Amino acid sequence: MSFPTLLELDDIRMNFGAIEALRGVSFKVGKGEVVALLGDNGAGKSTLVKIISGGLKASAGRMVFDGEERFFPTPAEAKAQGIETVYQDLSLCTNVDVVGNFFMGREMVKKWLGFIPVLQEKEMEAVVAQALQNAGTRIPSLRTNVEHLSGGQRQAIELNRFAHWGGKLVLLDEPFAALGVEQTRRGLGLIRRIAGQGIGVIVITHIMQQAFQVADRIVVIRQGRVAGDVPAKQTSPDEVVGLITGEAQAYGKPSGQTQETRPNGPIPN
Amino acid sequence: MTSPRQRATAEFILDHLVWFMLAAVLIAFSIFVPNFFQIGIFANIVEQSTFVGVMAIGLAIVIIAGHMDLSVESTAALAAMITGILFCSRGIGMGLTFAPEWLVIPVSLVISLAVGGLIGFLNGFFTIKLKMNAFIVTLASYIWVRGLVVAISGGRSAQDLSPSLRSIGIEQVLYIPLMAWIAIICFVMFSFIMGRTPFGRHVTLIGGNAVAAFRAGIKVDRLMFISFILAGAIAGLAGWLLAIRTSGATANLGTGMLFNAFAAVVIGGVSLKGGVGKLPGVYAGVLLLSSIHTAINLMGLPAHYTQVILGLLVLAAVLLDTLKIQIRQRFA
Repeated sequence: MSFPTLLELDDIRMNFGAIEALRGVSFKVGKGEVVALLGDNGAGKSTLVKIISGGLKASAGRMVFDGEERFFPTPAEAKAQGIETVYQDLSLCTNVDVVGNFFMGREMVKKWLGFIPVLQEKEMEAVVAQALQNAGTRIPSLRTNVEHLSGGQRQAIELNRFAHWGGKLVLLDEPFAALGVEQTRRGLGLIRRIAGQGIGVIVITHIMQQAFQVADRIVVIRQGRVAGDVPAKQTSPDEVVGLITGEAQAYGKPSGQTQETRPNGPIPN
Repeated sequence: MTSPRQRATAEFILDHLVWFMLAAVLIAFSIFVPNFFQIGIFANIVEQSTFVGVMAIGLAIVIIAGHMDLSVESTAALAAMITGILFCSRGIGMGLTFAPEWLVIPVSLVISLAVGGLIGFLNGFFTIKLKMNAFIVTLASYIWVRGLVVAISGGRSAQDLSPSLRSIGIEQVLYIPLMAWIAIICFVMFSFIMGRTPFGRHVTLIGGNAVAAFRAGIKVDRLMFISFILAGAIAGLAGWLLAIRTSGATANLGTGMLFNAFAAVVIGGVSLKGGVGKLPGVYAGVLLLSSIHTAINLMGLPAHYTQVILGLLVLAAVLLDTLKIQIRQRFA
């Protein structure tokens, strides 16, 4: 399978003072492609995610998003362009119902007497119902406060909301850390459906099995470099473990020049 | 197992618990307290609820937004004192008059709102711009604003408010004093704002999860600032009404109202954690407190018992809030 390129990272470097967190990372994410980003703690995954979503400014390198070469100065800017990081429970207000969360900050409003803004609850509810139905997500009542919903349902709301508002690339950091077996299974299905709408997905995970279940491609980061960039179907968990720990060598990307053997490098956590 | 219908009923009762409590208390008092069941008594309960009620609106909005405003009582006192000093003709009053005379109504109202809004602005400035803790900032305001009231009055009082203003305190519409109607209109208006407009929705979202609201592009700081100013201005309105009701102002006017307002807000179902609560519930909480006050008066108990009961009620309200979560889980 090939996907039209959505995001291209080219030789991204990131220094914190004398410490090199990223030492030339290059890979691509396509529209509708799910990329699993793997790597040991401190490999540089979080730094990379922050650079993509505008939380950090790269020291050097190039990023092309949706055909335009640019970095995003702030997360808000990245979001406006359709890149968002979905953190567990950080982007929902559990004290408000599903509709309120779906439309958070973008409420549909009509003006009474020409100047009093009033929420259009019925219209908003209809939009949410339609959006969730299209995505195959079932939530019993859209007027239930999110606090009464399960972790899986919350994630579904976040991802559907993202897709509905024109998101293009979603970054998921350990999306299933707090979910049970059945919920995780549904979550993985949800990610596939989101990707099916042409959205690029980067999933950071520690759990090999999940990466293989959901991803089209697996990118392994090790000591600030891409240690492996392989289609999920052409590799095996054992091989990926080898890439993560540095026992196996990458094929695919040129950036993985011969790895220096460093004793667990000076890379910050 | 419970059916969705049962669950909906349970949710409804839990969400409107304070109204059921109010109804139960009114029925019980009507049966057991002699002379309680009369229109005059009910009108009196509604009238008593005016000042604490108005004050509680602003307090509730700030608490729903996830902050705290302890200064509302002193702010109201300051607005009352300034109204008293400017428009009273005896005591420390300057006796300002206008031609036509009724102009004093809008002018004094605007001054009161502005005084309140200014205190709210200061609270907002320290809390939001300087990132100080709202509890401490507004506690400080509670102290220094009251101090200012005592200082500008020299501990003396202003009496004989302008007759135009006083007429507001005397008028009745449908057995209920005009002042009480003002409180009711405020509740209706702000219930609408909190329940049906983007402002109210955003304030509630911020109270629930300010980070999420910020990430969704909601202007968190600006809305918080507005909430503080609003709470101050509403407290100013409460002060204006107090000055009219007492036809002047004393340095200790309104002392103790903060705790009544707080109790009403909590009993009315507003969670101190923020993000939870509805203004009609707060009004029910105020009415509940006034009913208990009135019943105690009618029974001839010493007034001090009111305070004991008030304290117990607040405890009960918080306990209920905790129990609600457990009950919800059983129905979920």
